[in-house]
Amino acid sequence: MSYLEDDLRKALRRTEPSEDFVDRVLARVNRPAPPEPTWWELLAAVLRPPRLQWVALSVIVSVMIPFAGVQYRQERQYRAKGERAKEQLLLAVRVAGSKLHQAQKRVLEVGRMDTRL
Amino acid sequence: MREYPEQTAQGSLSAFADIVREQQGMVFGLAYHFLHDRALAEELAQEVFLELHRHLATIESPRHLVFWLRKVTSRRCIDQTRRRSFWPKFRLDEVPEPQAVTREADPLLSRALARLVASLPEKARLVVVLRYQEDLDPADISQVLDMPVATVKSHLQRSLAMLRDKLARTVGEIAI
Repeated sequence: MSYLEDDLRKALRRTEPSEDFVDRVLARVNRPAPPEPTWWELLAAVLRPPRLQWVALSVIVSVMIPFAGVQYRQERQYRAKGERAKEQLLLAVRVAGSKLHQAQKRVLEVGRMDTRL
Repeated sequence: MREYPEQTAQGSLSAFADIVREQQGMVFGLAYHFLHDRALAEELAQEVFLELHRHLATIESPRHLVFWLRKVTSRRCIDQTRRRSFWPKFRLDEVPEPQAVTREADPLLSRALARLVASLPEKARLVVVLRYQEDLDPADISQVLDMPVATVKSHLQRSLAMLRDKLARTVGEIAI
């Protein structure tokens, strides 16, 4: 056995509690059991959340609501921008289509004139 | 040993008081060396004896009684640290004086060691306290803590190495 183990035995020897320890244990043994709670007391205990939980919940909600509001507004703005861009693109496609059509018509006309000559 | 439960079942509180008197040093000692807080350790020891009073009829022998008390005290010590964010306080004036200083025991060294033990991780601390307060071998500790013997041995080895190292740094070059 090392010196350390020997010293540990000395440092961790059994320790007595205060002198009235036995009396206090016996007093608690003799203490009458608390009366059985009624059903509404049980219900109230179940429904009563700890205060700390309410505080944490309200902090989370008060942070989450503005954050969610900002996120929603940004989302709507992005969507509106997207819609506008889509409309512009469709218009551009339509314009380009009609120009292409006119050009095609002209090419065909010129072609026909050439064959007649 | 059926006399304790039978006497208590007959209303003999004095028989139960005898048990408390006999075992309080063991139960309180385990709690105190683990928690390093006298008030908490007394509260925990009281709870252990109240639980014993409720389960006295299930105790089969003096050996079983001691085993039961060690097991319940150990379980409650672990519960105590998990229930509240507990950190041991290392106030030297709160560490109890050794009751009977034998051989060349060094009270300062004992205090330093008790503080260092209290700073070990909870499972390792419990293993060390059971090993050196109760003089249990690893097999007995494994039964009390429901832990494999190999784990107990590894906790002991690592704890001793840690304590040796910390003690050398705390107290200086002591022959350990």
